[in-house]
Order: sequence, then C-alpha cells, then structure tokens
Amino acid sequence: MRETVELSLVVNGRAHPIRVEPRETLADVLRERLGLTGLKISCDVQVCGACTVLVDGLAISACTYLAADAEGHEVTTVEGLARAGQLSPLQQSFIDAAAFQCGFCTPGMRMAATALLAENPAPTRAQVVAGIEGNICRCTGYVPIIDAILEAAGAVDAAGVSEGAR
Amino acid sequence: MIPPFALARPASVSEAIATFADAGQDAAWYAGGTELLQVMKMGLARFGTLIDLKGLPELRGIAVDASGALVIGGAVTHREIERSSIVGRELPGLVGLEAHVANVRVRNQGTIGGNLCFAEPHSDPATFLLACDAHVELWGAGGARELPIDGFFLEPFVTARTPDEILLAIVIPKAAAGEGRAYEKAKFRERPAVSVAVRLRVAGDAIVEAVVAVGSMTDIPVRVPEAGTALAGAPADPSALGAPLAAGAEAMAELDAVGDLDGSADFKRHLAGVLLRSATRAALSEAIARA
Ligand SMILES: Cc1cc2nc3c(=O)[nH]c(=O)nc-3n(C[C@H](O)[C@H](O)[C@H](O)COP(=O)(O)OP(=O)(O)OC[C@H]3O[C@@H](n4cnc5c(N)ncnc54)[C@H](O)[C@@H]3O)c2cc1C
Ligand code: FES
Ligand code: FES
Repeated sequence: MRETVELSLVVNGRAHPIRVEPRETLADVLRERLGLTGLKISCDVQVCGACTVLVDGLAISACTYLAADAEGHEVTTVEGLARAGQLSPLQQSFIDAAAFQCGFCTPGMRMAATALLAENPAPTRAQVVAGIEGNICRCTGYVPIIDAILEAAGAVDAAGVSEGAR
Repeated sequence: MIPPFALARPASVSEAIATFADAGQDAAWYAGGTELLQVMKMGLARFGTLIDLKGLPELRGIAVDASGALVIGGAVTHREIERSSIVGRELPGLVGLEAHVANVRVRNQGTIGGNLCFAEPHSDPATFLLACDAHVELWGAGGARELPIDGFFLEPFVTARTPDEILLAIVIPKAAAGEGRAYEKAKFRERPAVSVAVRLRVAGDAIVEAVVAVGSMTDIPVRVPEAGTALAGAPADPSALGAPLAAGAEAMAELDAVGDLDGSADFKRHLAGVLLRSATRAALSEAIARA
C-alpha cells in the first residue's frame, strides 16, 4: 500500500483536514481536491508562474511544491484575496487597467504582486518588473499589468500616469 | 505525475544519516525540491524515500565564525541569503548574485546546498564561491569532512560528495584587507548564459593577487589561473587595465567552451571577456574601498 499522510492544510484562513500521498503537489491538491481552480498549471517547470500561490506570504510554484510541505504553514490563493465580497485593491486595479485578456496568467500575477507589495508597499516600476519577472503573460505585453500593480500600490498620480512612465 | 515515494522528516542530522542507511540505496536528500521534484516528474530519477533536510537545525542559519568566515547553512534558501544583513555586510557580491538567481519563487523554495549538490553547470553561486575560495562541510555515514569548492564539481551533475553525505554548510573566508570579490553574468533565459567571478587584492598602487572563475561556459565552473596571473601586478587603477584584461580575455578564449541554447561556444568566449572587464572593475572598486 502506498504511504499517505494526514494533513491539516490551512488555505485562505480555513483548515482542511485531508489525506494525501507525499508525491501530490500543492497545485493538484488545491485544484483537484479543494476545488480552488484559480491557480493554473501551465509549464509545470517553475518558469511561467501560472501556479503561483503564497506560503506564509512567500510566492512559490505550486506545480513543483509538495502539498505535504504546506502542513503547518498558511497557504493563500487568489480566491483568498477578496474580503467579504470586496475585491482587493490589486483585483480592482487589474480591472481598471485592463491588465488581462485571456486571464490565464492573472491569478499567478496577482499572487506574485501580492507578495511583492506586502514586502515593498511602494515599489518603483523597476522593482515591479523584477517582482513579476518569473510570471509570463502572452497577451498584454505586461505594461497594463505593471500599471495595475503600481496603481494598487498608490503610485499613480491624478492624471492616471504611473510614475515610471513619465 | 511524480512517482510514489515515502517522505521522511528526521529531527537531526544523525537521525537523517540513520534514515538514509535504513533505506539502502533507494533514498535521496530533499530540500526545496526545485531540481529533485522536477527530475522525478520528468521520469529521470526515482527514489523510494525522500529525506527532508529543510527543518534540520544544523543546516539552518547564517553566521560569522571565530575566524571571521561567513558560514551559510546548506538548507538556507536563495531568498534568505538575498535578504541577509550579515551576508550584505560580509560578502555584498553574494547578495547581488542571489537577487538574480532564477525567479522569486525558485529563490523562495530553492536552497544553496541543493544548488551546489545538484551541480547543474549553469550555477551562479558555484562560480562565485569558486573564486572566493569557499569550502563545504559534509557529514555522512563515515563522519564529517571538509572539501574545497575547487575540486567539488567533477562533471555536470556530479560532485565529490558521496550519496550518503549531507552538505551541512558553506564556509567563505573573510576578505583580507584590500580584497574585493565581484560577480557578473549575462543571462537570456532563466539561468546564466556565462558568468565571471573575480577576487583580487590590492596593496599600495597595484593588484597583487587575483583569482578568476568562469561558469556556464565549460562543462563545470572552472578557475582560469592565466587570467588571474594577467591581472596580478597590474596597477590598481580601473582606467589602466587594458592590457591585463585583454590578456585575461585571451586566456578565457582558450577554454573548452560548450555551446548550448544560451549561445555558441564562440559567443560564450566573447561574453567571458566582456564580463571579465566588468567583474574586475567591480572587484577593484570593492578592494580599494577595503584597503
Ligand atoms: C526555473 C529555474 C531557474 C533556475 N535558475 C537558476 C539560476 O539562474 N541560477 C542558479 O544558480 N540556479 C538556478 N536554478 C537552480 C536553483 O538554484 C536550484 O534549483 C535550487 O537552488 C536547488 O535547491 P533545492 O533546495 O530546491 O534542491 P533539491 O531539488 O531539493 O535538491 C537538489 C539535489 O541536491 C541534493 N541535495 C539538496 N540539498 C542537499 C544537502 N544539503 N546535502 C546533500 N544533498 C542535497 C538532492 O538530493 C538533489 O539531488 C534554477 C532552477 C529552476 C527550476
Ligand atoms: S505551472 Fe508552475 S510555474 Fe508554470
Ligand atoms: S492575459 Fe493572457 S496570458 Fe496574461
């Protein structure tokens, strides 16, 4: 019989008792077992960032992270960003800046940006670019995404022009 | 999907070594998993037991020892090094290097020990640590030993570590007075295309000693003694380094460069010469500041 381990996975503030095989990735468990399908699996080799979630506030690639390693830590997925039906500032700014087209990269982008802003609430444009360096978007050309993150950080002036673009 | 395995979580290094012995030949050390889980996922490796080293207190932490050397635990992540004020003070070049390893997710998960033990030829820390004269502390079934980084890498993905040995820590000597250590890379994809590390010491108006290492160019990161010799004796003046740098670049061009997706062998030789210039200037300015 294959070994399984009993976990209490804390995801978006809620504990989920769950039995998994050690080989199960956090991405598979979140998507297939907990129904949290916001995160996507695309490259499966830690390059694209579609699977980005936070573990204790740090961005990781859920595609290559064992669910068993999340035991005892706090997992945050894109489903955890809204509070009481209110979009987070980042979710709202992505809408305002039209920062997605197909939307496949968006959950990962938002989680990467959430980690970035938690660590550095007033990033420069260059710091935003560095923070999402490992998240690939095939649609937008990145400019609206960077603008949205700066806007969420409050770095956009009244005319709506982000600091770095001036 | 990753083939099935059992996950062991020992509480100490001695327990880990006993667990490894019990598993026979069928166990692997497991830290961030950024390489190991990937190769298992791709079907390139299979192990019955993964032994998790992340939680072992002996492999955690960054400190300065009695000799002033910087000691970095084998399970310290790239991100922890990048954000460490101790490393920022003792070896600023390593903070700059770590900030540009992979992407932020790999830096949050991946460890320096895993990077060195996996021995992928495109390693940033391996090349810099080679120039810095670092050594690694290993502990296995046969006891503890130390190995210089120069000689640790044998061929791509192969090191002098035996499978039962754990990399406990990396030890980097304290910079001497007048010593500077710098690292420069060219990168087009995730990993470096070519990188050059320079450690040099100035006394009076001259560079008196220099060590040059190059990574991602030959099949393992190597020192280039002729490039170091070319710099030794040169004036400690960034504007007067033309001839020594040209001689150093020529020595780099003699290396057995390996072309890959990051560029042809010729292109890499060219890049190595360019990076030698910037790394030498950066090391020189740190050396002058510390003289
Ligand atoms: C997308 C991507 C981009 C990358 N880009 C870069 C880059 O730009 N520059 C760079 O230098 N690196 C890069 N890397 C490599 C990265 O640094 C390593 O993957 C990481 O540091 C490995 O550490 P880990 O803890 O995840 O190792 P694991 O995957 O857990 O282990 C790797 C190997 O080392 C062994 N091992 C691990 N820890 C120990 C130990 N303490 N003692 C003995 N054996 C041990 C394991 O058994 C395994 O064989 C990249 C990796 C990825 C996936
Ligand atoms: S799916 Fe995990 S990084 Fe691409
Ligand atoms: S919006 Fe389509 S990949 Fe980013």
